[in-house]
Order: sequence, then C-alpha cells, then structure tokens
Amino acid sequence: MSRVIRLENIHKSFGKLEVLHGIDLEVKEGEKVVIIGPSGSGKSTLIRCINLLEKPEQGAVYVDQVNLLSNTQQLSRVRQSMGMVFQQFNLYPHMTVLENLMLAPMKLKKESGEEAEKTALVYLERVGLQDKAHSYPAQLSGGQQQRVAIARALTMKPKIMLFDEPTSALDPEMIQEVLDVMVALADEGITMVVVTHEMGFARRVADRVVFMADGKIIEENAPEEFFTHPQHERARQFLSKIERAV
Amino acid sequence: MPGPFAAFKWEALLSDWNVFAEGFGMTIAVSVLALLLALVLGIAFGMMGTEKSRLFRLVNRCYVELIQNTPLVIQIFFLYNGLPYIGIQLPIFWVGMLGIGVYHGAYAAEVVRAGILSVPKGQFEAAMAQGFSYRDTMRHIILPQAKRLAYPPLTNLAVNLIKNTSVMAMIAGGDLMYHADSWASANLYYGPAYVVTGLLYIAICFPLATYAKHLESKLEVSV
Ligand SMILES: Nc1ncnc2c1ncn2[C@@H]1O[C@H](COP(=O)(O)OP(=O)(O)O)[C@@H](O)[C@H]1O
Ligand SMILES: [Mg+2]
Repeated sequence: MSRVIRLENIHKSFGKLEVLHGIDLEVKEGEKVVIIGPSGSGKSTLIRCINLLEKPEQGAVYVDQVNLLSNTQQLSRVRQSMGMVFQQFNLYPHMTVLENLMLAPMKLKKESGEEAEKTALVYLERVGLQDKAHSYPAQLSGGQQQRVAIARALTMKPKIMLFDEPTSALDPEMIQEVLDVMVALADEGITMVVVTHEMGFARRVADRVVFMADGKIIEENAPEEFFTHPQHERARQFLSKIERAV
Repeated sequence: MPGPFAAFKWEALLSDWNVFAEGFGMTIAVSVLALLLALVLGIAFGMMGTEKSRLFRLVNRCYVELIQNTPLVIQIFFLYNGLPYIGIQLPIFWVGMLGIGVYHGAYAAEVVRAGILSVPKGQFEAAMAQGFSYRDTMRHIILPQAKRLAYPPLTNLAVNLIKNTSVMAMIAGGDLMYHADSWASANLYYGPAYVVTGLLYIAICFPLATYAKHLESKLEVSV
C-alpha cells in the first residue's frame, strides 16, 4: 500500500526552543496511527506539521507524494483532502451547525447550496445530530460540538483525518460518544492519525502506536505489543502513570 | 439693543433656510463618502496590523501613528494648501472627503485590528486546515466575528466623523458649519445660526450614538 503521509527529518523550533528534533514518520493508506506521549513532548506540533499549520524549518512533509514545503500552490488542495479535529472543537460560532458544515464544500468545492446541505445532513445524521442542524455551536454540549466538528471535516470527503486530543477537553461522560464516532469512522478504512491518551481506543483501532517524548519518537509498535511490552524506560514510566490515572 | 436671540433674527434665518439646507446636504454627503473611505482604509490597514509580516505591521503603525498624532486641521490644510505645490489641485469637496476619511481611517484601523485580534487563534487554524486561503479565512470566518465587536466603536467613530466634517468650514468647504458661519458673519445673527446648526448635528449624531449604546449593551448580553 502507498504511503500517504511521509515526514522526513522534521525540525521545528519556536523562537530559540527546538521542540521537534528530527522526526521521521510514515503513514500508509488506510492506516490508523495513534500518537501518545507526555504533555509538552511535541505531539500537537508534530500533527500540525502534517498539514503545515506549523511550518518546520528543516525536513520534508509529503502528503500524497506532494512535497508541501516546496509546492505551496498545492497546499490548499491537499488540506482539503485532510480533515482536522482539534481539542477545542473550533466550530465557527457565528454560523449554525448546518452552515459550519456547508461552508467549505460551497466555497472550496463550489457545490450548490442544495448539494452541500444534502451532504451536510447525511454527515450530521452519521454523528447523530441531525436535529441540531439549526442550532449554534454555543447551544451544544462539548461532546456534541466535537461530533459536529468531525462531521464538518467529513463533508469534504477527506482521505486522511487528523485528530489532536479530540476528547481531552470533554467532561468524562461525553468522551464515549465522540470515541464511538471515531471508531465507526476507522472501520470505514479512512487514514487516521490520532493524538490521544485513550488506551481503549488505541487498542481497538490503532495499527501502530507512536510514543513521543522530548520532541523525538522513542518507540513505535503494534498497540498490544506497545502496551504490554514497552521497550524503553520512558515509555514504561509514562504508561504506568496513565494507567494509574485511569 | 436687541438680544442675541431676538425674534427677527430667527425670522431671517427661516427665510434663508435653503442656505442651511445646502450646508446640511453637503455635510451629509461628505460624511457618507468619508465614512466609506474610513471603513475601507480601516479594514485594509487594520488587517495589515494583524499580519505576521513585519513590513505590513510597520505600514499599519506608520499610518496610524502619523494620522493620530497630528491634528485633523493640519492634515486638511496640507491637502488644501500643500498639494497644489506638487501640481495636484483637488476640489474642496474632495479635500474634505479625503482628509476626513483618511483621518478616521486610522481610528477605524485600530478598531478593526483589535476586533481581529479578539478572535481566537483556533478559528484561523480551523479555517486554514480546511483549505481556505488567507483571504477567504478573513472574509468568511474572521471578519464576521471581528465585526460584532467592532460595530459599537465604529458607530461612535461615525458620530465623531460627522462632527469633524465641520473643519471644512476653515477651507470654505460649503458644509453646514461653513454656511452657518458665513451667514452669521454677514448679518451678525450668530445666536440662531449656531443653535440651529447645533440642533442639526444633534439630529444625525444623537440617533447614531444611541444606536451605538444599544449595540454595546447587546454585546454585553451575548458575551
Ligand atoms: N506556538 C507556540 N509558541 C511557543 N512554544 C510553543 C508553541 N506551541 C508549542 N510550544 C511548545 O512546544 C512544546 C511542545 O508542545 P506541543 O506540541 O503542544 O506538545 P504536546 O501536544 O505533546 O503537549 C512545548 O514545550 C510547548 O510549550
Ligand atoms: Mg497537545
């Protein structure tokens, strides 16, 4: 299978502080990769390098064989094929749920309003929120907002979905409803890169777990292997901490 | 000696009402066009002030600081007396419209800049991640949100702009203040002239200012 994402020797700094020290990562078509690691280890920065929300100073980012750093005129097209879901949902607060879902298809794909609305309702139904089409984001619970955010990304029919701690800002009772949507999505064969500490999700869905610490990838393995026999001391420490927390 | 508000002075004003009407019309025309100019400049320079590029931010600062730290009168005099030296002779109406528009554009730029900066960074990121260009992100996602916050101060700005069109009187601008002043200095009926002029300014400014307060209170409720 082809590699849809390839990061080569990524270095990223904020001012004088280098937070990614040469990362290599490949993701195959349809693969589900879960990234875990302590807070501040650079997980968000890494996943944001994939769609160039953060621009690495060194290294190369290939998505669908396109070198994004040297083909800026293709960046918008490639971003359209990659949905991203954020910890803070980032729905557009001045638009209704339906408008949130219709904006990109209409403006970027030039779909008609009718067409875009039809697609939007299909995806809203998939996340179980068709009755909220005319609500504003502020009227929804966190879990509902995050499901809308996922539906919004899906209306562009992306090949790849990026999730950056999609359940970390949620009250515990809402985490499952979002994970359920993500599991259903994973079963459809879409390529997924997910930053999360939800070990149940990782075990159920991931083909591979990537463990990061201090701006480096320390260990990569199949989830069962990784969770039961972590190879590195840093990984063992980290796992014992989150297991105690759960 | 008759008082400053003697009845016959009011009668004289009433029979010359068209002089005041003409000035009032001119003031409104200049206000509307200058306000449009100020908004366009405000949006353009305000957006520059939020740019990553240092050059754009420098341009924003130069415009805002230069304009906000010199009196409007000097700027008008510059357009009126200075430009002809380099061969540009603008009609009075244009001098007023440009001068007042550019002056308030600097204040509008600050309002727009603050409005844009108040929109959370995540909104930018969500839009960019969807594939929107910078321009479309601004147009569909950022500016509509910035607008909500910018409306009340921009309405107050419109009030100030209307009042400040009175500086055109200093260059014989044909506006309300100019007509009132020249009418009164011809017959010395200053009392009624200035009272009526003041009332005419109130007639447009007070509703606008009230509207601004209404917008502000709505914003407080929704935040
Ligand atoms: N925009 C930024 N400006 C400065 N420092 C940042 C910025 N974003 C992240 N960092 C720093 O980079 C490091 C990695 O952050 P991040 O990628 O968010 O880690 P994680 O997602 O694993 O918690 C942290 O030390 C963080 O403080
Ligand atoms: Mg993070």
